[in-house]
Amino acid sequence: MNTVANQTVLIGLDGATFTILDALMEEGVMPFLKEFVASGARAELRSVIPPITPPAWVSLTTGRSPGNHGVFDFFRPVSPASRHIQFTTSHDIHCETIWSIASRNGLKVISLDFPTMFPSPAINGYVVPGGWMPWRQLRLGCYPSDLYDRLKALPGFNARELAMDPAMEEKAIEGCRQDEYEDWIELHIRREQHWFEILRFLMEHDRCELTAILFDGVDKLQHLCWRFLDPACLGDSPTPWERHIRQQGLKYFRQLDQLLAEIVAMSDRDANIVLASDHGFGPTAEVFHVNTWLQQHGYLAWADTQASQQQQSEALGIAKIARHVYELDWDRTTAYAATPSSNGIHIVVADSENASGVPVRDYHRFRDQLMASLRGFTDGENDDPVVSQIWTREEAFAGPYQGLAPDLTLALRDGGQVSILSSDAPLKRRQEAKGTHRPEGVFIAGGPGIRRGASLPQLSILDVTPVLLYCLGLPIPEDVEGDLPTELFHESTLRKLPVRGGEPTQVGVAEQGDRDQEYTLSPEDEAEIAKRLRALGYIE
Amino acid sequence: MSVGYDQVMADVLNLLNEVSDDWEYSGTITPQTGLLSDLGFESLELVILGVSIQEHYKQTIPFPEFLADIGERDVPDIYVGDLVEFVHQHVGHAEVK
Repeated sequence: MNTVANQTVLIGLDGATFTILDALMEEGVMPFLKEFVASGARAELRSVIPPITPPAWVSLTTGRSPGNHGVFDFFRPVSPASRHIQFTTSHDIHCETIWSIASRNGLKVISLDFPTMFPSPAINGYVVPGGWMPWRQLRLGCYPSDLYDRLKALPGFNARELAMDPAMEEKAIEGCRQDEYEDWIELHIRREQHWFEILRFLMEHDRCELTAILFDGVDKLQHLCWRFLDPACLGDSPTPWERHIRQQGLKYFRQLDQLLAEIVAMSDRDANIVLASDHGFGPTAEVFHVNTWLQQHGYLAWADTQASQQQQSEALGIAKIARHVYELDWDRTTAYAATPSSNGIHIVVADSENASGVPVRDYHRFRDQLMASLRGFTDGENDDPVVSQIWTREEAFAGPYQGLAPDLTLALRDGGQVSILSSDAPLKRRQEAKGTHRPEGVFIAGGPGIRRGASLPQLSILDVTPVLLYCLGLPIPEDVEGDLPTELFHESTLRKLPVRGGEPTQVGVAEQGDRDQEYTLSPEDEAEIAKRLRALGYIE
Repeated sequence: MSVGYDQVMADVLNLLNEVSDDWEYSGTITPQTGLLSDLGFESLELVILGVSIQEHYKQTIPFPEFLADIGERDVPDIYVGDLVEFVHQHVGHAEVK
């Protein structure tokens, strides 16, 4: 096969931003990355709306937008009209991924630590899923089925540190005590090393044309430690403890830099290396309690049973992210936010089950009024709207699966994510800045055919799949929405290997199976399931 | 192909034993083992278990249904035997992988 290089390596850096990376390269914390950027090309990478992990990585690895691939959040409604939600899995990806495209073209693939990869697709290679994959069941997510036993035999293998520990994850979401920060950072240093060791093992034993690994500690550290990592937030006179935590954070990035160097060293001499993040990062200083705002404006009412339901949920030890279902009075609620991650508002439309919802004929008028009211919300101290931008479902998620997306998606003035919890005030200042997502991620590439020292205009996250396909020598399917940034490559390379368009992607090759039959539940089934899920607590 | 109760029991126990070996669970998993109380499952782990069972039988199973009234029980738990009973009700005509 005629290719730009014989091997293409994708290194995902979850949440990486040039705001931090440029400073660390300048300070000498990431000398390899500095040299790599200088010898390759870079661009800001525009994420999806909203810039969160599941839809962003799925868009990056499919070249398709959320309305087309169907992943919008960590959760999805059980059905388009349902108020009940469930975890997003690989079954919810309705477009072909780069893993599948490469596989059916006879190329071998390694995919390590990417989210929304459980159940693992049967690709021509190896999958160890990341994201919300509990460590105790990691075996069930590995592909092929004997892979876990091979990994378990590796010296130092530690599934608990490698994959998700639900109890630990909850702590990270809720926040650490001061004395836990150092351990948290050290855990991620070890975790990245564990993932690297798996990559090394696979690369040494089976050379794969498409080799991909995701390091998600960048996101985790930036959420918790942004104020120590961003010099602009640290201030002129940090305390000894703050300086110490910053040094620990830098230790993480030093190790990451070493791992990047080792991965490049392990790759083919003429491999193309692509580093990319799913979104960027920045500080957030305030919290918008969107459901409280909706309540104060007559759109939402809390149920009387709120307290007892919370207690029940906690007793079951369940993640409490989307507790809206049993905390709201549905007879008096017409709009609500379901999850804190999506920044989305759902409008309750009247139907046979929601007689008190908004009549279909009034939907657009209702939505327009709600948008106007949200745009008019200020903190009272100045006229700066708290909600800086609002997208309707059609604007943000056009495509066959837009019905699963929120009716409205908000961008907040400080880039933050909403809180769905009740509060005595809709807007509050944080005691200290935290890290939160931004749309502007990173794209860095180097290798044969790629221009040295090029700084490209902003790319779309959808463009990464075409880049990978071109590097692999594959045609770019006509339904891939991203564009190949030809300015990334030398003209001689483009002449030698002209860009080829190809047939549409194939759904059902590796990932899809018979999943289209999934979720085709009757209303009775759905209601029953919702009851059970609510009892269990993972619909909240 | 019809899947008998004994086969479902064997499949579910096999699945649980397979993963419990990885976290060195010292007990014996039986139909009386509680997924929450004995194995300490979190909600996400129950979701993964349910999806894995569906993958095995290549059939959609309204898995959460077997959690009937769990929140209202004196001791909220899910026992392996209950799970097997529920799965068996839904995989009578499943094609086994």
